[in-house]
Amino acid sequence: MSTRTRTNRFLLQALAVTLAVLALAPFLWLLVMSFKTNAEIFRFPPRLFFEATLDNYAHLWTSEFRRSFSNSLIVATATTFLSLLVGVPAAYALSRWTAPGGNAITLWILASRMAPPIAFTIPYFLVYRHLELLDTLAGLVVIYLTFNLSLVIWMMRPFYDQLPRSLEEAAWIDGATMWQGFYRIILPLSGPGLAATAILCFLFAWNDFFFALILTRTEAMTAPVAVVNFMNYEGWEWGRIAAGGTMIMLPVLVFSFIVRKYLVHGLTGGALKG
Amino acid sequence: MTSIHRRSILRGTGALAAVGLSAPSVLAQAGKPHAGTTINAACFQTTYFDYLRAYFPEFEEKTGIKVNFTMQAFPVYNQRTDLELSTRGSALDVINVTFIYSGRWIGAGWLTNLDTFTKDAKLTPAAWAPEDFLGGPQSAMRNAKGETFGYAWLAGAMIQSAARYDLIEKAGLSMPKTFDELLKVCDAIHGKEGVAAFTADRLHHWNWIPYLMGMGGGVFKAPPENLTPTLTTPEAAKAADFYANLLVKYGPDGILSYSDDQAMRSQMAGRANIRTQDAVWMVPLFKHAESTVQKTVRYGLMPAGPSGNYPGSNSHALGIPAGSKKKEAAWEFIKWAVSKEIITRVVREHAYPGIARLSVIQSPEFKQVLTLNGQDVAALYLEVLQLGGKTGYMKYRTVPVFPQVGDKINKAIERIATKQQGAADAMKQAQAEAIQDLQKAGIKIDT
Repeated sequence: MSTRTRTNRFLLQALAVTLAVLALAPFLWLLVMSFKTNAEIFRFPPRLFFEATLDNYAHLWTSEFRRSFSNSLIVATATTFLSLLVGVPAAYALSRWTAPGGNAITLWILASRMAPPIAFTIPYFLVYRHLELLDTLAGLVVIYLTFNLSLVIWMMRPFYDQLPRSLEEAAWIDGATMWQGFYRIILPLSGPGLAATAILCFLFAWNDFFFALILTRTEAMTAPVAVVNFMNYEGWEWGRIAAGGTMIMLPVLVFSFIVRKYLVHGLTGGALKG
Repeated sequence: MTSIHRRSILRGTGALAAVGLSAPSVLAQAGKPHAGTTINAACFQTTYFDYLRAYFPEFEEKTGIKVNFTMQAFPVYNQRTDLELSTRGSALDVINVTFIYSGRWIGAGWLTNLDTFTKDAKLTPAAWAPEDFLGGPQSAMRNAKGETFGYAWLAGAMIQSAARYDLIEKAGLSMPKTFDELLKVCDAIHGKEGVAAFTADRLHHWNWIPYLMGMGGGVFKAPPENLTPTLTTPEAAKAADFYANLLVKYGPDGILSYSDDQAMRSQMAGRANIRTQDAVWMVPLFKHAESTVQKTVRYGLMPAGPSGNYPGSNSHALGIPAGSKKKEAAWEFIKWAVSKEIITRVVREHAYPGIARLSVIQSPEFKQVLTLNGQDVAALYLEVLQLGGKTGYMKYRTVPVFPQVGDKINKAIERIATKQQGAADAMKQAQAEAIQDLQKAGIKIDT
């Protein structure tokens, strides 16, 4: 390798590291802030070395935030599971649909995402009040499910379009039922797509603020809304807000880390069809 | 033996049933007509109700009413309550009537007229004294007919604080009393010992208005009757320019993005000196354990402009949604939560600085709470609240459309401070945008 090539590579790597640091700086700042007292947070100029405290995290553990965090986990996990359970077979069916109207149905499935969430606020609120679903975890799961289904179907259908029909046809010839062909042959091949779709579903439900704000009160309040509650009228609890923010990022980071090898493949899979 | 047991059981069951059936009437006779009722109450996160919660068992013991009280962040609370009220829900029995929403909620008929309770001697004893609530804070809780829809638990009064008054003294000056003096003081002290002369939060539609009025301007022509915006007057442009200059020339770095809390922290950390804001945000400079300016902070009235002194005042009150199905029980709670006894207790035990009952404000307990560095801040506080009540200059703020117009003001001040527009142009744009919003809301304006 020539000196020039090595220099170029070094410069590119340095640029990549710089960009990564810039992109991650706000998160790093948030993380560091979560270990500071309020007085330390507002010290100017900020100190690089300070006496770290776990008080902010300890308070989260003993406050309502703990329940909200559990609510978020339950709602996001249940939504992801149900969205995949319903959406993946639907995407497969639409992919293999040969009768006319398949594309129109796929398009109409997107209708739930054709308007901004605020447009649905009052109808949802009134219906939920009537059905006594306000401030319930089930209510949130249903809402997120309606929005996630279109995502699952639209993300998974191109994967199935890519897979040759001959695979499942071979399985049928060998005696497999249609369901077995899907479950044993097709589904394992769509692993990367499932991982990418699952993480996006999880993220949508996990990060949602708007519906959780409108449709919950105290019992089903999720973590993003609970964090805002550290903003008191007479002063904000900055350390706790930072600790709450860090805690909210944690499961997503862990989940992304677990499925990272599928993620890039999953997000680009189906992009090229030839 | 068996039959004796059975009889005993039957007798016991009968006795229990009799007690159970007669319990409400017995409790009613004992002065607990609402015993067994559960009311749902909500407010934004605030220390007053943090303190009050500790006393709830006493209320529940006294009335037999169980209180399910929830608190949320200010914007969260307002959003949820607005939706609940607008759909005539019955989920809440007692709510906080937020100052900036009071006009909207009262005007739309979403709240219960509390006069029906205060005028009924059976429901409200004379000693409860509704007239004891100061006129200024209460004015936002009344409609045009003078009917009352909320009783204030918080009264905010804008005063002036100088976190590092020692720097002002060193410059041979004193607390500024006029806008000109404010500029002179800021010029003299800015940057001394690394301290910015002025600080403020980004809620310009609250902070800037006293400067606008002090220079002879106003937000609307004659609120609440005539809501034609008056943001294109020379006074408005001058006031906007003056205020934006205060922020940019004398403020700390990043001032344009400061929240209430960040502005307070900039003073507490000794990074910024003067601020004009609600007393609730000023008292911690002296009382908060993390304040580094406890010994140097001093207080004064909001500086006056050529046209007078118009410090902001506001209030938050307890009210009953029109859709509530437990209004009398809800009134019992309100009566208790803002009674003289409870307010005095919160002041005495927690040094709470923002109340609306005159008798408590004039009490030795309150004076003691607001005697800060030897200064009688209670007197300043009362003066501001009375000023607001006398002339009604705060009426602009409780009209239903103020939140939209206020948003335009915020953006205009930001554009001026960041030099994107001159003051006159920015206010002209704000006026045009405000008129659009008002017309969309169906409000008649002068052409």
